[in-house]
Amino acid sequence: MKLQSFRFRITLFCAVLGSVALIGFSIVSWWLIYEAKVKRLDAEIKNQLIQATRPQSTQWDNYAASLPLVLGMNGKANVALLVNDRDGNLLYKSTQWQDEIDANSLWRALPQPPPDPVRMPFELEPPPPPNLLDPPPRDRPESFPPRERRPPRDRPESFPPRERRPPRDRPPEFDRPDFPLVFQTQLATMRTNRKIWRVGAVHSPQTQIAIAVSLKGIALEMASISNVFLISIPIVLLLVAGGAWVISRSILYPIGRLTTAIRNVTVQGLDHRVPLGSTDIEFIELIFVFNQMLERLERSFKQASRFSGDAAHELKTPLAILQGEIERALHQVESGSQVQQTLSNLLDEVRRLSEITRKLLLLSLADAGRMGLHRVEVNVSALLSEIAEDMELLAPHLDVQMAIAPNLFIKCDRDLLVQVLQNLVGNAIKYNLPKGWLRLQAECQEKRVIVTIVNSSQDISFGERDRIFERFHRGDSTQIQKIAGSGLGLSLAREIARAHGGDIQLEAAILGQTGFILSLPVGDRD
Amino acid sequence: MNVLYVEDEAKIANFVCIGLKEQGFIVDYCANGNDGYERAMDNQYDAIVLDIVLPGKDGLSILKLLRKAGRNVPVILLTARNELDDRIQGLHLGADDYLAKPFFVEELIARIHAVVRRASGGGQNILSVGPVKLDRILREVTCDRHTVELTTREFNLLEYLMRSPGRVLTRTQILEHIWGYDFNPNTNVVDVCIQRIRKKIEPIGGVGWVESVRGVGYRFRKPDSTS
Repeated sequence: MKLQSFRFRITLFCAVLGSVALIGFSIVSWWLIYEAKVKRLDAEIKNQLIQATRPQSTQWDNYAASLPLVLGMNGKANVALLVNDRDGNLLYKSTQWQDEIDANSLWRALPQPPPDPVRMPFELEPPPPPNLLDPPPRDRPESFPPRERRPPRDRPESFPPRERRPPRDRPPEFDRPDFPLVFQTQLATMRTNRKIWRVGAVHSPQTQIAIAVSLKGIALEMASISNVFLISIPIVLLLVAGGAWVISRSILYPIGRLTTAIRNVTVQGLDHRVPLGSTDIEFIELIFVFNQMLERLERSFKQASRFSGDAAHELKTPLAILQGEIERALHQVESGSQVQQTLSNLLDEVRRLSEITRKLLLLSLADAGRMGLHRVEVNVSALLSEIAEDMELLAPHLDVQMAIAPNLFIKCDRDLLVQVLQNLVGNAIKYNLPKGWLRLQAECQEKRVIVTIVNSSQDISFGERDRIFERFHRGDSTQIQKIAGSGLGLSLAREIARAHGGDIQLEAAILGQTGFILSLPVGDRD
Repeated sequence: MNVLYVEDEAKIANFVCIGLKEQGFIVDYCANGNDGYERAMDNQYDAIVLDIVLPGKDGLSILKLLRKAGRNVPVILLTARNELDDRIQGLHLGADDYLAKPFFVEELIARIHAVVRRASGGGQNILSVGPVKLDRILREVTCDRHTVELTTREFNLLEYLMRSPGRVLTRTQILEHIWGYDFNPNTNVVDVCIQRIRKKIEPIGGVGWVESVRGVGYRFRKPDSTS
């Protein structure tokens, strides 16, 4: 399983959230700025178109030259002008005009203005002085609303500023409400092979005018804004991630404290509780639940441990009586009689029973961590050679190999160690093959005495291997069931080894053999 | 041999007393810790057998007080409760041996003999039944002036049998006495060991002294019953 870091996840989550928000915000604001710029440009183009509708047939050159300045474009290359007369004949085309720009489509989309020269008030007027520094009018509608909807004096905002055409100079009939002062304009974005143009077109009664402004300027401006975003977004993201990393640490700090408290509790034993202390309010419930769990665990653990202890103890007295009485009767009946044989068998069974209770009691003590050890210095080598001597009697049919280092001394409980060794050797004999072998090794490795007992045996299945130390577990095969045993010996032996600070392990599976490794610390020698 | 036996469980006390008396002990029995302590202080015993759980003073307290008063009488503790802790405490307080319940009376007798012998400084080094003599120091067996050596196990087994001649000891009893708790009850180690002993003592005149009791175990022949 791959381990996942909560802290890393929090940081990642914050970073992703932050980046999505930032990128979204950037895109939207970039688009809004772009739109605003294009709108402003549109407004200026329209303004210029409308100004251009005033008759100025001779001065198209000048007008075209003044356009870039008016439109706030740096460089003439970005502005182009095309003027046709009303029949479509070319009147003027600036050098920047590219033929791919399809102004005709725009003109076609416009309604034709009435060709009424009389009504054209500006016909005789000279072109207006290019009042170039005036701010262009804003928010001009695409098509001018019908006049009657507005009172005449509210108009000036959408027109060239009033001071350019002082009302006194204007003939009064020009303000007639039915006279369309402004012609409809049409705007579109067009793409040529070199540039993107914003093209505006208008019909005046005499001319068709189109102004094309390259969007390169806007694109340059937008590029610098994009650069600002591109630089600032990663920086902000790093800040967000760093902040999330720091914040997540402070989130995890109480959990770390709780872990320490819980660890102390488990070291000290089940009867301890995690103190509430100055815990944050969010963790109080967790501690409470954990303490409750500990309490339940302790109760059931104690119950189980006490049960087997109590049961074993309560069984001991009746067993002692039973055993003593049978033993006495054994000596009273006629020697070698059937009754004596029966009593002898009964005695064996009682003995087995007391052996089980004794082991259960020891196991319950081990579970409760109260296995009292009477540590004395023991010569393991001598103990093993004594056992080896027995092995000749016990299993003369086995091929026994011994490799016992001399003078292996450890501090341990002699009686219990004898029990462990007898159990391991006893198993090695009991579960051996008819003409098998047995290998007994003992050596000292890094302040530990390692005793290895290997014997030929039937193979133990993997499931069986896992359960071999379980209490009351005995092999499934009928052959094993025939062998006497309670299934407690090995698990008790391991508990004894563990109580000494050692362990018993099953050797890695090798076909045809079984091995147990007992390791015990040498212990402090006086 | 004088033995004080303090035990509150009457049924256990009953058969233990009978068993000890059968083996020639003079048993002074009481069921109360306070009485037991007074008797132990007032009389001279060869050995004291103390149960740990007692009304009044418990076994460990009696032991402690005795040792405090400078009494070095051998003490065997009988434990039932927490075998390991009691054993540690008992041995720490100066008990000579301990025996966990349930136990064989025969085993208790063997232990009493052992602690008494140890306390008396090896006064009874020779155990002699019929023509067979055991030397506990040299671990030799002598019969008609011939001597053979026995292994530790063989010697212990023969001694166990010879201590109560005529009494049958079951295989389990022998196994537990010689080898301890947990040794393969389903092996014929006792039989093998007995055969070896016989092989060693028969050539020197010990023929027929180690008897088999069919289906039960073994016994050492009582000298009276033969000649």
